[in-house]
Amino acid sequence: MSEKDNLTNLINVIVDGDEIQASSIAKKALDSGLDYKAILNEGIIKACEEIGQLYEKEEYFLADMLISADALKAAMKVLKPAMEQASEKSPGKILIGTVEGDVHDIGKSLVTSLLQGQGYDVIDLGSEVPPETFAQKALEDNPDIIGLSGLLTVSISKMRETIALLKEKRIDSKIIIGGGVVSKAACVLIGADDCAKDGWEGVKKINRIISSKGGGVV
Amino acid sequence: MPHDWVKSALRLMNAMAGKTKKVDRVPYFALINEQMLCRVAGVTVKEMLSSPEIYAKAVIGSYEFLEADTIQIPTSYAGPGEALAFAESNDKLDTIRWYDYKPLSIIQGAVCKTEEDIDKLEIPDHSKSSIWKVSTEAANIVNEKTKFPQMFGLGIWSVVQELRGVQAFKDMRKNPELLLKLCEKVYESQLDVFKFWTEKVGFSPMIMLTGYSFNKHMMSFDDAMKFEGQFIKRLQEKTKVPFIFHNCGTSPYFMEACKEIEFAAVNGSHPLDLDYWIKFKESYPNVTIMGANIDVSREMLTGTPQDVEEKVRDNIIALAPGGRYVCSPVCCLPWGVPLGNIMAIPRALEKYGQYPLKIQ
Repeated sequence: MSEKDNLTNLINVIVDGDEIQASSIAKKALDSGLDYKAILNEGIIKACEEIGQLYEKEEYFLADMLISADALKAAMKVLKPAMEQASEKSPGKILIGTVEGDVHDIGKSLVTSLLQGQGYDVIDLGSEVPPETFAQKALEDNPDIIGLSGLLTVSISKMRETIALLKEKRIDSKIIIGGGVVSKAACVLIGADDCAKDGWEGVKKINRIISSKGGGVV
Repeated sequence: MPHDWVKSALRLMNAMAGKTKKVDRVPYFALINEQMLCRVAGVTVKEMLSSPEIYAKAVIGSYEFLEADTIQIPTSYAGPGEALAFAESNDKLDTIRWYDYKPLSIIQGAVCKTEEDIDKLEIPDHSKSSIWKVSTEAANIVNEKTKFPQMFGLGIWSVVQELRGVQAFKDMRKNPELLLKLCEKVYESQLDVFKFWTEKVGFSPMIMLTGYSFNKHMMSFDDAMKFEGQFIKRLQEKTKVPFIFHNCGTSPYFMEACKEIEFAAVNGSHPLDLDYWIKFKESYPNVTIMGANIDVSREMLTGTPQDVEEKVRDNIIALAPGGRYVCSPVCCLPWGVPLGNIMAIPRALEKYGQYPLKIQ
């Protein structure tokens, strides 16, 4: 099988959400001598773009995105050792969590999987994360971007509290708020740098911010 | 002057029937959860739920303070309370999260982590559930004091998602039969809790149905019908009560859902484009619009009382002629919304919402 066929197959199985095949094809490609950078850029990243396009065309929905993201992660796991051996740097470090008082984590989980699948270093704090934990982890890990997620209308006030604390601690990471509850007006009001209405928009915005800083994958 | 709940009930009923000659003004439907009750009553959630008397007093005081035309016990909704009942009856008490000033919840996906959890999932005995005990007793006190018939709330997907979490979405593609098995158990439990409520509190004139799956951000319309819509239809057949269809997401399938399922009213704040709601009214003249584009996380949160007043006025001009319009900010009024913005709604209704309408 040609190099191109291998990568096309990899894209297809990731888009189809086939975790086992994604892992297997990525391994075969690597074993055949294909450079991990080619597999990453011409396979995994392209698959991620295709998943996003299908979502935007409303051919894919959250369920499809989630299983494709799992396949993306499975392929990425295969590449990880080669990347580490080559001292490949992650395109960016992201600290993410659902704010205190909110247990909803589906959008956040999707963002985490899609970012990890593109090689980002993602620190997922889970759900119900108090402002102090965000601040403490941000000071320890110095992320490029902090993502605050929430679904409930009551989460906006906790996002505001979290951002106020991050600013008080002089943490200069970009802050993105995400979830059905957020709006551009709320984003400005509570002092976030940007907002995303859903997981895919969040991923696109993170990629854009990281690219503008000279890193990134797209 | 004491709040006239009988007048409010008639205002709501006649407006929903399109009998504007019998309505003095556009009714106001406020959605209040535990957070707003705590804010107005000055108690924590645990204090409130520890006694039906305290709970009922907080509910009546809050709705009267907000000058609303509806009154409802927030936990009379088989969403988070139902997930709690499932957690209690399946020995998963450690998944429950209590907050001082917010609705309780359970860790998403913790009750039905595995296939075996779904197979063995016990339907709660609602007569033994702590949350339903205090809710029904408080509802009876509210009924007695206000004579306002209590509405009940149901929802399939909200509970499925609480129990199964993110895995529910993966099941949709990888194991749809397993997911349908869970939906079926939730359906049975919803029916049981409805019977329990009816027995303890009495007949509900309407059911507030949260159709959270009916949103583009969640799933396709076909999936929404498969994993929630078919169960809603069955609930309607069994309960024989008119349903208000609630979805507070940003891309709801209101138009599409009304083609497939009969609803008395729809309740949501999106799309924000008022033209959508005008078209909805033209397409479904017999379905009451409760809400339209007044959103608690936009102008209610970040705007001024003037902004809120203008939004209410625009809604009245576009949707109130002929009735079947009930003003409602969607969703629940959260803590951070300024009081001036909240009170701008009843003020605007007094100013612009009097029938016969004077503003064009």
